[in-house]
Amino acid sequence: MTFNGQDYESGAFFDELIGRDGRARPHAEALARYFAEMVPADLAQRQAAVDRTIADMGISFTVYSEGDNIDRAWPLDLIPRAMPGDEWDRIEAGLVQRVRALNLFIDDLYNDRRILADKVVPAEIIDSSRNYLAPCRGFSPRHGVWAHVTGTDLVRGGDGTVYVLEDNLRVPSGVSYMLENRTVIKRVFPSLFRNLRIRPVGEYPTRLAEMLASIAPEQAADGAPEIVVLTPGIYNSAYFEHSFLARTMGAELVEGGDLFVDDDDCVYMRTIEGPCRVDVIYRRIDDTFMDPEAFRKDSMLGVPGLTRAWRAGNVALANAPGSGVADDKVVYSYVPDIIRYYLDQDPIIPNVPTWRCSDPQHLEHVLSRLPELVVKPANESGGYGMLIGPQATKAEHARFHDLLNADPRNYIAQPTLDLSTAPTLSSGRLEPRHLDLRPFILQGADLSVTAGGLTRVAMRKGSLVVNSSQGGGSKDTWIVEENR
Amino acid sequence: MLSRAAERVYWTGRYLERAENTARIVQQYSQLLLDLPDEVGVGWDELVTIFGAASEFPGAGEVSEEVAVLRFLVSDPNSGCSLVRSIRMARDNMRNTRDLLPQESWESVNELDQFARRALVSTVDDEDRFEVLSECIARCLQVDGILVGTMSHGAPYQFLRLGQSLERADMTSRVLDVATAYVRRDPDLIDRFGSVLGTNALKSVSGFQMYRQYCQPQIEGERVVEFLVRDTLFPRAIASCVNRARFACSRLPGGEAPLDCLDRIVEHLGQDPEDDLTAADVSAIMDRIQQWLGQVHEAVVHTWFTPDADQ
Repeated sequence: MTFNGQDYESGAFFDELIGRDGRARPHAEALARYFAEMVPADLAQRQAAVDRTIADMGISFTVYSEGDNIDRAWPLDLIPRAMPGDEWDRIEAGLVQRVRALNLFIDDLYNDRRILADKVVPAEIIDSSRNYLAPCRGFSPRHGVWAHVTGTDLVRGGDGTVYVLEDNLRVPSGVSYMLENRTVIKRVFPSLFRNLRIRPVGEYPTRLAEMLASIAPEQAADGAPEIVVLTPGIYNSAYFEHSFLARTMGAELVEGGDLFVDDDDCVYMRTIEGPCRVDVIYRRIDDTFMDPEAFRKDSMLGVPGLTRAWRAGNVALANAPGSGVADDKVVYSYVPDIIRYYLDQDPIIPNVPTWRCSDPQHLEHVLSRLPELVVKPANESGGYGMLIGPQATKAEHARFHDLLNADPRNYIAQPTLDLSTAPTLSSGRLEPRHLDLRPFILQGADLSVTAGGLTRVAMRKGSLVVNSSQGGGSKDTWIVEENR
Repeated sequence: MLSRAAERVYWTGRYLERAENTARIVQQYSQLLLDLPDEVGVGWDELVTIFGAASEFPGAGEVSEEVAVLRFLVSDPNSGCSLVRSIRMARDNMRNTRDLLPQESWESVNELDQFARRALVSTVDDEDRFEVLSECIARCLQVDGILVGTMSHGAPYQFLRLGQSLERADMTSRVLDVATAYVRRDPDLIDRFGSVLGTNALKSVSGFQMYRQYCQPQIEGERVVEFLVRDTLFPRAIASCVNRARFACSRLPGGEAPLDCLDRIVEHLGQDPEDDLTAADVSAIMDRIQQWLGQVHEAVVHTWFTPDADQ
């Protein structure tokens, strides 16, 4: 396989488009043929067209720098990442299975605690998790669903196996970029879409609105329920997405100060025509900032009394507070058992092998192999507080040795993954870059999964960091039907 | 429409208007000082008084009074009443309500903000001042033009207009207050420089040409005051601003309280057309008008922005 006259070296990793023999994988043949005909000048010109479209559409994200915040154009690589439809069907079934089991698990934890009584998951793991929120106990939201929007991170290892890396049950972001990436790529490469059957993704805002309507309090169900998106405000890095989702759903975008809970334990928003009752809040602020009455007293972003209104059944919160308990990375390591326990099925998508430092044998193993492993704190997200063994210094190894010994409950360890790659435009030529995939799963009365998701790609050679704030980019993600 | 969004749109209107008026007033004042001999005793500090900011003005210190005043009123982002600050506030309020306002207006106000931060520093230099302030005014008008030309006349538009009208009425009253203050201090001035001061007042609100067309060719103090207070055709005259504010309120839900306040202003402005507006009384009248405008603002806040504040 050659791209623009140069051999494309997929290297030692699994490449999503190009096989080990150097030929395009069957689902990527048309894509590879299309780009193989392009000389570097064509590629650069098309990438410029992509960038221009993004600027014109105002697709941005916010980065913080020295106290100031800047809107940056969203980085999108022009080469799509493709996956075969039949492979995706299996992944989709695995995601549905996983989210269904996780919601049964969360509902059980806040009510009967059967799984703890049956000692499938140790009770002390749950009771010591700071994401297990006491004000949520003894309550069950409509349909028994807590995590209504899940953004599961998937990675593919060197042998081609797709693993779940993280579940992200709290406020996962990125779906607006998935939608905008598709819009941009369709504008720039319309002919590719004419010749291939690529599953559409554009109905997500409709699915989201339907899901949110399905969880509205029952008394609101006769009319159209009033749905709002609750944002921390313009300084949040995902504000573009909050605004995008509100706009595309036709919902009001509100901040904490726009809402209040009245003596009737109902939630109202302040409008120029007086208070207006709110039925469903798609909240994009963290659990503990949501309600200073129930959680952090110092939160300026929340709405006092929100938890009270929620427990009274007068408002639906998506995601429900407390769903983050299943985001604990120690809990993550039990998810295969959780799936077996509630659904009596084997997990379709495996976990990344995980050592729990709370287990003395695991801890010993981890301590002896620190330079090879990735060590993660149990309750952080966004890559904070991690040790990437192979890239860390001896001093950092020593520091983590102490940290793990001092607080083993709060750490897990995993092997360093050989993340898969895909051809990515870099300095005028196509080179392999590592990537991951975040599909979005909605559960209300029904369950649905996006066709593909947001592919994030590390733009620097050899880098595994896909975060857009740290130089990561993105790709449009194609689920390609091959029977055509 | 959310109360918060309404409030931010209203302040966008106010700050944009304040920015434009600040640029006009500073530009015109610089021209005026070139026409008045020193012994008249009109200095740069009078300009600070126009903005009602005498108590916040830190004074000249190391630099000349001119430079200190220009920094304070134009280029210092930390000064609460500076032009650059008004533009930043307009931009910040607009940023919060981007979904309600046309995309081009956001882009345009952003460019204005960048221009202001870059260029306004040079207004301390009197060679560049006129040009830079002119560009600022032109850019403000560009934003305004986009809003007028591309926005549906629903609630967000009416809040924008309401903020703009109240701010404009307030600014015009301040210009008049100061123009007549010299006369009060030294009645002799009116004979020697009456027409210069009257012309300045008119030019500060870009009303010179319209006064001549619709009023009379001669610049007479009392007729100038009359024109800038009671004219209902000139868009920067107080009565005209009040009428536009009334129209905006009438298009918004439940605006009785602010409308009552505005009606009271109209009533007062209409009385005794002949002898109420002598230069000697102007200051008291302007103070009263500013108070009434303050009451309108309070009523607007109470009606639409924080209706449940007293619950």
